[in-house]
Amino acid sequence: MMWAARADDGYLVGGLTRDCLETLRGVPMLVESSDPRVRERLLPDTYDSAEDEQQWREHSTPELERLFMSRLQIVRKDLAAVRKLEAIDLWVLLLPDTHANAWLASLNAARLALFVLNDLDARHLERDGDSLCTDKQREAVWRIQFLAEIQCILMGEMESMDDLGDPEDGDDEEHGKGADIDHGPMHDGPIPPLS
Amino acid sequence: MTVLPRAATKEKTKTETRTKTAVARPWNVIVHDDPVTLMTYVTRVFIQVFGYPDSKAQRLMMEVHREGRSIVWTGGREQAEVYAQKLQAHHLKTSLEQVDAE
Repeated sequence: MMWAARADDGYLVGGLTRDCLETLRGVPMLVESSDPRVRERLLPDTYDSAEDEQQWREHSTPELERLFMSRLQIVRKDLAAVRKLEAIDLWVLLLPDTHANAWLASLNAARLALFVLNDLDARHLERDGDSLCTDKQREAVWRIQFLAEIQCILMGEMESMDDLGDPEDGDDEEHGKGADIDHGPMHDGPIPPLS
Repeated sequence: MTVLPRAATKEKTKTETRTKTAVARPWNVIVHDDPVTLMTYVTRVFIQVFGYPDSKAQRLMMEVHREGRSIVWTGGREQAEVYAQKLQAHHLKTSLEQVDAE
């Protein structure tokens, strides 16, 4: 069971399985993907006019690309500091408050990339969308929803999330003060997407 | 002797007025629906980018959700481009279109 808890300078996310960790480590690769479907979605057409669009791409696209890359540096740095709990196959990740915007945007980009790379449409993300999915799509939907849960943690949306206790209190061993999050293989669609 | 200059001045004024009208046509910043981005994330981005109050940000987000798109800001082209870039930086699907001339 994944859990999240508030620390002084950010959120601690624990109980991360190997699949969760692999999904998080895949975020930079997804955002950097050169697949035209991903580039088209992350850098969409902005103007109807071809001339205006060309000018927009000359000026705006390089800036956006630089911004995406600088955010990924932050994400990579945090991922490099992920800690494995001894004796069990679970990991803990600290998401500092100062990195929240970089994480939120990068997670969103990765979710969009997963969506277009796996030929998904809105129906696949609905509660009963499982029956429409191939195995590969099912896995992609799981990753999209898992990354959404991380976004929700960063936006402070997880209910019953208490502050992490003072380590001196001695009750931090169980990590029981954070919110438990079920991240089983197919979510029941608890997170409302835009449509 | 005085007629010609007055007529010329009048013509010049007409031309300037037309030009100003064309330049002043504002631009709409439009956010389009997508099935992936979280509603709460969209609201948060609207607040962050435009400084909108929560109620307005939520109303616009719901308009995107229900109508498929929403005009989230209207004004001069330069500022519209700044906003479009900021919204795209958060991966909201954003486009710009000039307001139709009446």
